[in-house]
Amino acid sequence: MPPDPTNLLQGTLDMMILKSLALTEMHGLGIARRIEQITKGTFQVKPGSLFPSLHRMEQEGWLTGTWGESENNRRAKYYKLTAAGRRQLETETKRWGRISLAIARALETS
Amino acid sequence: MRTLAHLTSLLRNLFRRKQSDQDLDEEVRSYVALLTEEKIAAGMSREQAGRQAKFELGGIERIKEQVRDIRAGARLDALIQDLRYAIRMLRKGPAFTVTAVLTLALGIGANTAIFTLLNGIMLRALPVRDPQQLVLLQWHARKAPAFDEYSSFNDCATSGPGDENPWGCSFSSPMFNTIHQQTSVFDGTLAFAGPLPLTVSGNGSASMASGEIVSGDYFNVLGVRAVLGRTIGPADDAVTAASVVVLRYGYWQEAFGGSPSAIGRTIRLNGVPFAIVGVADPGFISLTPGKTQDMWLTRSIFPRVGFREGWSRVEDAGNAWLAVVARLKPGISAAQAQAAVGLLFRNELGHGSTPLVDPTSDPSIILLPAQSGLTGERRGYEKSLRALMIAVCIILLATCANVAGLLLARSTTRRREIAVRLALGAPRMRVARQLLTESILLSVLGGLVGVLVAFWGVHAITVFVSSDSLQRFNFALTPDASVLTFTAAVSIVCGILFGLTPALAGTRIGLAPTLKENAAGDDNPSARTPGFSLSSALVVVQIALAVVILTGAGLLIRTLQNLKNINPGFDSRNILLFSLDPALTGYETAQIQNLYRELQSQFAALPGVISASYSSSALLAGDLSNGKITIEGQPDPQEPYDVDQLSIAPSFFDTMRIPIIAGRVFNASEAVGNSESATSPQLDAGKPWPPPIPAPLLVVINDAFVRRYFSKRSPLGMHLNRGDTTQSKTGTTDGKPRSRYWEIVGVVADAKYNELRREIRPTVYLPINGGGANFEVRTTVDPTLVIPAIGAILARTDANLPLSRIRTESQEISHDLFQERLIARLSSFFGLLALLLACVGVYGLLSYDVARRTREFGIRTALGADANAVLSLVIRRGVVLSVTGTIIGGASAVAGTRYLESLLYGVHAGDASTLAAVAALLTIVVLAACYIPARRATRVDPMIALRHE
Repeated sequence: MPPDPTNLLQGTLDMMILKSLALTEMHGLGIARRIEQITKGTFQVKPGSLFPSLHRMEQEGWLTGTWGESENNRRAKYYKLTAAGRRQLETETKRWGRISLAIARALETS
Repeated sequence: MRTLAHLTSLLRNLFRRKQSDQDLDEEVRSYVALLTEEKIAAGMSREQAGRQAKFELGGIERIKEQVRDIRAGARLDALIQDLRYAIRMLRKGPAFTVTAVLTLALGIGANTAIFTLLNGIMLRALPVRDPQQLVLLQWHARKAPAFDEYSSFNDCATSGPGDENPWGCSFSSPMFNTIHQQTSVFDGTLAFAGPLPLTVSGNGSASMASGEIVSGDYFNVLGVRAVLGRTIGPADDAVTAASVVVLRYGYWQEAFGGSPSAIGRTIRLNGVPFAIVGVADPGFISLTPGKTQDMWLTRSIFPRVGFREGWSRVEDAGNAWLAVVARLKPGISAAQAQAAVGLLFRNELGHGSTPLVDPTSDPSIILLPAQSGLTGERRGYEKSLRALMIAVCIILLATCANVAGLLLARSTTRRREIAVRLALGAPRMRVARQLLTESILLSVLGGLVGVLVAFWGVHAITVFVSSDSLQRFNFALTPDASVLTFTAAVSIVCGILFGLTPALAGTRIGLAPTLKENAAGDDNPSARTPGFSLSSALVVVQIALAVVILTGAGLLIRTLQNLKNINPGFDSRNILLFSLDPALTGYETAQIQNLYRELQSQFAALPGVISASYSSSALLAGDLSNGKITIEGQPDPQEPYDVDQLSIAPSFFDTMRIPIIAGRVFNASEAVGNSESATSPQLDAGKPWPPPIPAPLLVVINDAFVRRYFSKRSPLGMHLNRGDTTQSKTGTTDGKPRSRYWEIVGVVADAKYNELRREIRPTVYLPINGGGANFEVRTTVDPTLVIPAIGAILARTDANLPLSRIRTESQEISHDLFQERLIARLSSFFGLLALLLACVGVYGLLSYDVARRTREFGIRTALGADANAVLSLVIRRGVVLSVTGTIIGGASAVAGTRYLESLLYGVHAGDASTLAAVAALLTIVVLAACYIPARRATRVDPMIALRHE
C-alpha cells in the first residue's frame, strides 16, 4: 500500500532525484546535497525518505545501483538513470509543469 | 522491462534476503561515513561529527525497516510472518486446534466424498480421445416419425408417449449410413446399440453375456485402442466379413482368466462361431456412463447370431435402433453441423419410398455434447445425488458456524493480545489479516485430513454399493484432479467464511477497557455483549441446520420404512428366481413351451421345493409391460384403457401365494396353442409382435382391474379387446387395432408388479407361451441351497442352455430399495454429524460462558442462590438457544424438504410427526450438552471465586 496522503510530495521527491541523476551517477549523500543545492536549500532530503525512494525506484527499474569508490576512497553505492528512468523523468517534468501552471493560474485568479 | 525488474528484485528479495539486507546495511553505513567526513571537513571534531551524522540519520534500523517495507516482497514477507505466527498460535492451543481441524475434516471430508460420487457419476469425462469434440445426434419433430420399430437402450433421454414435440436419439441403419458419408462437418461418425443378451458356449459351461452392436468405425472414432490383439475396424462391418468379436477387459479377465491365448480362439455366440480378435483398453468400459457390456460385435455381423425375428430387418429405414455419435471437424460449429445433418434427416425421412414423417412436423436434429447427452444410468442417481450434495453443503455450513464459534471464543480470550498489538500501532487490517491467515491455515489442515476422511467415506460407500448383488456399479469412484481442486477450493472458501466474522469482530475492540481488564476475569459486561450475541447466533445457526438435515434424514428413513412395510401382495420369502432364454439357443416356440413344462415339474419334485412356476418376468424385478384394451359391452372410452400385462404359467399364483378371489386360473391345456405372449421386458422393446390369431384367450385379472372397470359387476366371462399396444407399432394395420378377444376366467388379489413404489394398477395375467421366461421356485429351505440341484437338472436337459440372473426374491426387493437405503443411510449419518456439531457448539459456548461467569456464580452462591437456581440459569440459556434454533430450522426444513418430495414415499415434506420427533431428539440432546457446563457452574466455590479477584 503506497502512503496516499504524501503522494504528491513523494512524486516530487522522485522527480528531483531523477533530475539530479540526469547528468551523472551519484551516491545517496551526493543526491541529497545536489537537491539541496539546486533548490537553494528549500528541500532538505532526509535519509528516512531518501533511501525508501531510491530503493523503490530501483525496483521500478528507473535506477540501477552499483558499488564504487567515493572521491575520498570510500565504498559507496552509486545510482544511475536507466532509459526507463529518463522516460519517467520526462513524464514527471511534464506533469509537474501542468500542475504548477494550474496552481499558478488558480492563485492568480483569486 | 519494468515487470522484469520487479520480478528480479522480488526473487532477489526472496532468495537472497540476507545478502540484500547486508547490502542495505552497508549502504546506510557508507552514507553515515560520508556524512561524517563532510562534517569533519566543515570543521567538526571526529567524535562530534559522528554523533551529529547518526542523529541526522535518525536510526539505521528504522530506515532499513522502511526500505524493506517498500520492497516487492514485503507482502510475501508479511504472509510468511503471519503463517509462522499462526503456526505458533495453533501449537499453543492444541486442544482448540485438534477440535477445529477434526470438525473441519468431517465437514470437508463429507463434501469431498459426495463430490467424488457426483464427479464419478455425473461429471467425469467420457473415457475416449478428445471427448469434448463428440456430439450425440438427437432428433426432434412436432409429431413422432412413423417408425415401424423403435428401440432405445437407455443411452439418452427420450420423450414419453404423451409428450408433445417428441424427441429421441435412435436412428435407422440407412440413416446412419447417410450421415456417415457426410464428411464435411464430421471427422467421423459411429453408431451403437445394446447391450443385447447372448449365450456363450465353447468356453466352459454355457453362460450368458451381453454384447454391444457397433458400427465399424466405433473404436477408431473414439480413439480407443486394444490392449491385446486389435479392435473392430471398418472392414469388419460388412455383410461378407468374418464373424469377429472384441472383449471388454474385465470380461476377458473373468471369463478367460486374462489369458493372451484367448485371442484367436473361437467361441459360440447364440450357437454361431465367432473369433475373438482383441481385448479393449481396460480404461474403456462403455461410452454411455454406467452401462456395461461384455463384448462388441459389428452391426452387419450380428443378424447372424439369430436374435429374435425383428432383428433380421436391421437394415430397414423404418427400424430405428442405433444411437449415433459424431466427432465434429475442428473449426465447424455445432450449429453448422446441425443444419447439415438436419437436412439429411428431413430428406431421408420425408422423401423415402414410404415417407415416415410429415414435413410440416418440422423434423430436425440437435447435436448435444456427448458428455451430457449420453445420460445412461446416471439419470437414476441424479435426484439422490443432488439431495446428498445439498445435505453435505449444509453440513459444511454447520461446520463453518461451529469453527467460527470456536474462533470467536478464542479471539475473546485473545483480546488482550490483540489490544496490545493494536495499541503498538498495528493497523487493524493487518491484525485481521493475521487472524484470517490463522483460520485459512486451520481449514487447509482440515482439508488435508478431510481428504483422508473422504477416502474412507468413498471406500465405505463403494463397499455398500457393491453389496447390492444384483447390479454392478459401473462408475469409477476415485478422487481425481477435479475432486482435489474442489476440496482445495472448499477449504479456502470455508476458511474465509468462518474466519472473517471472528477476525472483524475480534479487532473491533475498545483498547482502553480491554487493556485495563485484569488477566483472569474479563467479565466486563460492556465488552461481553457483542461476542455473546454473535456466538449465540452461530450456535442457533448450527441447531437450525441440524434440524434441517435431521428432518430430511427423518423423511428419507420414513420413506424407506414405508417401502419396506409395503405388502407386495405375495409371499416374497424363500423364492429363488432365475431366467432362461431358450430362443437364443435356437428353440422354437412350441419346443420352449414343452421345455418349460418339463423343467417346472422336475424343479417342483426337488427335495426342499414346494412348487415352481414361470412367467415372462419376475415380480419386483423392474420389468414391466403394458398395453391398451377396451371392454366389450361397455361404451367405447375416448382412449383405450392402459393396463399392465404379465404372462404366466398356470401355477404362478399358487407359487407366489397370490390368493384367487373369484373364478379360476386357466389350466395348462387351455394355455397351449395360443401364441399370444403379450409381454416382454421393456429392454427388448425392439422385438416385433408375434402374429396374432383371432381365438379367445383365457385370462385372469386383478382386483384393481375389477374395482376400476367393473364396479360391482362380476367380471367373469367378460371379454376384453386388445387395443394398440405401447410395445409395438406393427400390431396395428391400417391404423385400426385388430380384434383379439380375451375372456376373463378369474380374479386374483392385488400384487405389486415391477417395483414397490408403483401403485398396483389394473393388470391382466395371460398364459405364457414361448419366449424368455423367469422361473420362480418356492422352497422350504434357504432358496440358495437348491441352486446346484437346479443347475444339474438344466445340464441334464440341455447343456447349452445357460441360466442367468440367479437371485432370490428378497435380493430383488433389496435391490429395488437399494438407492433408498443408500440415501437414507448417508443422510442419517449426515444428520447425526450435524447433531454432533450442534452439541459441540452448544457445549462449547456454555462452557466458555460458565468459565467467564465464575465470579458471578460465586457471588450468587454466596448471596444464597442454591444449586438449582444456578443450574437453571445456565440451562435456560441452552433452552433459549435450542428453541430458537429449532423454530428457525423447522421453518427452513418445511420449505427446504419440498425439494425431496420426489424421493419420498408415504410421507410428505414438512411432515408434522417427523418434525416433532426431530425437535424432541434435538432438545434432549442439546439439553444433555448443556447439563455438563451447568453442573460445573453449581460447583463454583464462592470463596475461591471471590478470592480470585
